[in-house]
Amino acid sequence: MPRFLKEFFDRNGLGIGSLMLGLVLFWTIGLIILPQLSMLDFSFRPNLPPPEIGGPKDVYTMENYKYLVFGPEGGSQDYNAVDLKVFYRTLVAAIFVTIFNLILCYPIAYYLAQTKGNHIRIFALMLIIPYWINEILRAFALRIIFGETGVLNNLLVAAGIFDTPFDFVRNDIALYAGLGYAYILLMIFPIYNVIESLDRNQIEAARDMGASWPMIHRRVVIPYAKPGISSGCTMVFMLSAGALAAPQILGGPSSLWFTQLIYQQFNDNSDWPQGAAYAVVLLVTCILLVLALMRVFKVNMGDIGK
Amino acid sequence: MKNLSFMRLSIWIYLAVFFAYLLGPLVIMSITAFNSPEFPRATPWECLTFEWFSALFQDERILNGIKNSILVGAGTVVLSVAMGLAGALMLTQIWPKLRATYYTIIIAPILVPGVVIGISTLVFWDRINRMVGLGADSFLSNGLFLTVIGQSTFIASYCMLVLVARLQRYDTALTEAALDLGATHAQAFRKVLLPFMKPAIASAAVLAFLASFENYNTTTFTFGEYPTLTIELAQKVRYGITPAISALAFIIVLLTVFAALFNEANIRRKELVAEARKEATVEELSSGQFKLPGFLSSNWAAVALVIVACATVTVVGTATVYSPQQCIADVQEQKRLETELRIQELKRQRELRRQQQEAEQGSSTAPAQSKPAGNDSGFGGVFAPTNLEGETEQQGSTESEGNNSGFGGVFAPSTLSGEDTSEGSGN
Repeated sequence: MPRFLKEFFDRNGLGIGSLMLGLVLFWTIGLIILPQLSMLDFSFRPNLPPPEIGGPKDVYTMENYKYLVFGPEGGSQDYNAVDLKVFYRTLVAAIFVTIFNLILCYPIAYYLAQTKGNHIRIFALMLIIPYWINEILRAFALRIIFGETGVLNNLLVAAGIFDTPFDFVRNDIALYAGLGYAYILLMIFPIYNVIESLDRNQIEAARDMGASWPMIHRRVVIPYAKPGISSGCTMVFMLSAGALAAPQILGGPSSLWFTQLIYQQFNDNSDWPQGAAYAVVLLVTCILLVLALMRVFKVNMGDIGK
Repeated sequence: MKNLSFMRLSIWIYLAVFFAYLLGPLVIMSITAFNSPEFPRATPWECLTFEWFSALFQDERILNGIKNSILVGAGTVVLSVAMGLAGALMLTQIWPKLRATYYTIIIAPILVPGVVIGISTLVFWDRINRMVGLGADSFLSNGLFLTVIGQSTFIASYCMLVLVARLQRYDTALTEAALDLGATHAQAFRKVLLPFMKPAIASAAVLAFLASFENYNTTTFTFGEYPTLTIELAQKVRYGITPAISALAFIIVLLTVFAALFNEANIRRKELVAEARKEATVEELSSGQFKLPGFLSSNWAAVALVIVACATVTVVGTATVYSPQQCIADVQEQKRLETELRIQELKRQRELRRQQQEAEQGSSTAPAQSKPAGNDSGFGGVFAPTNLEGETEQQGSTESEGNNSGFGGVFAPSTLSGEDTSEGSGN
């Protein structure tokens, strides 16, 4: 037995130690690493009926990835314009939602973290309550508001701002509002956690030296809160790029989200390898994008999730 | 000073807007649960009704979904808290060199899109199933098993984060002392570490259950024959929405508020009791004369809890005796009357206009009067104003007769106004 294993069992005892080791190995290897690898492997295979899997036709192929870029073979277009456009729009919209959330949440997080008092607890409670409620129901609530005969349209028409009801759903406004709504808490908490540990004296000192409010935020608070901001942005970006419920419920009839394409491949076309290939593309692109942005803003991976 | 108060005001406005965005949708959705129209809407308000709640409780699919959700939730809580605890303990002991890699691996599922986790779980266990050679209906392809496994993959990471936070404050000397005093490892774990971790385990379990209960992205690929509540809701919402869903949402909101207030009230009470104990003298404490603060005294959360509870009891009480039939009939009657009034109004206007026209025509020159004489031409009288009038009048009267169908209110104004414009252009 290697020395570190022996030490491990000495410290934890044989029973508890092996239980711990077993659970951790099951989780990391059986649930996290192997399924991802298996999905990657699967995405390089052709779509075969079950009896032929493992047979002579089951060879590695780039077909599924080619499909995303070039479309069906012998198709009329050179590129798979529809799917690529959906992919591009999903990423851009996710970035947009992330920025919107950051701008919306930073002042709130700062206020909650730097103010003392009983009402802060009430605010925290009010923040958390919406997140105990089903994701689907939250999207449903927004659909009631943004619908053609919804509350917002009734209000706007009654106030005389619009003559006819404005179609928020078709213009994707409902979708962006829904995505932003869904992940507010994930943006606020990391930023809040970091700013809460910021010494108030630093702000006071900066103010005594004559710094204006924007200056204090730019030079003192934001640099300090950078790990929280980046971790919040990463989570919001990844989750909104990978969202499925909100686009299904709030998306316009003509606009698709990339996850909806994956869903269609799996459930409507039952082309699993194709769906897996799309999922791999989504995952890899998102990770690369996040890593690139983290490098630009000089943030470490270790700061995420703290 | 003026600057400061301006800033304070803008902060409050910002907070108000923010919380309106956050809570407004939930409030409006809750209101729609009590409004009588078939389509969930808060405006215009028609009748207070509780029928959507009874519709909800008669929905087999929803009830079945709740059952499945609870099953999946229970499995996920057990598996992910166990894995999270093991993962957290491992994090404190692992080789420093491996630590960063290990941390990245166990934190990654939080960032991986749920869709990807669902797909990879499905694909992987399908392959295992084939390798082992079990049939298509083995437990490895069972929806319940796959959903629990898929959800636990990332929910265990949440649990791990919660548990690690508490574990960092654990003094390992306690375990060592227990071992020195002759406890076995299992005893030390059960009697020393677990009691210390108990609050964190409880909150991790609650978090795991909630996360499992509301998960959609992963479950939608793995559920098989066990659609959870979220899946059922999504299917309902995608293919036509009814206020029954609002009713369910309202119940969930209410339960959440109850749980949150209860938790808050408990925390606050503990604080108050601790404070009171600190202030009490030794004699008071030893003689048992020490007076605990009342449950409601200076505890806003407890007061709110009691108010919400009373309101709920009142509403449920009203719901059992209240019948909206009268009100619905009234609203229909009112709609009918409104429609009739509108028709009358239109008729009168038209009559007025015709009279005006006649007056004008009468005063104008002869050629205008000769127009109706050309009626034998191909177009007949279609464009003649008088003809149209006859038509609309007829329609109007049939409409007012057929009003009991309930559609009268919907279609009459638009058809009438359509005719109206065509008549206008005919003129």
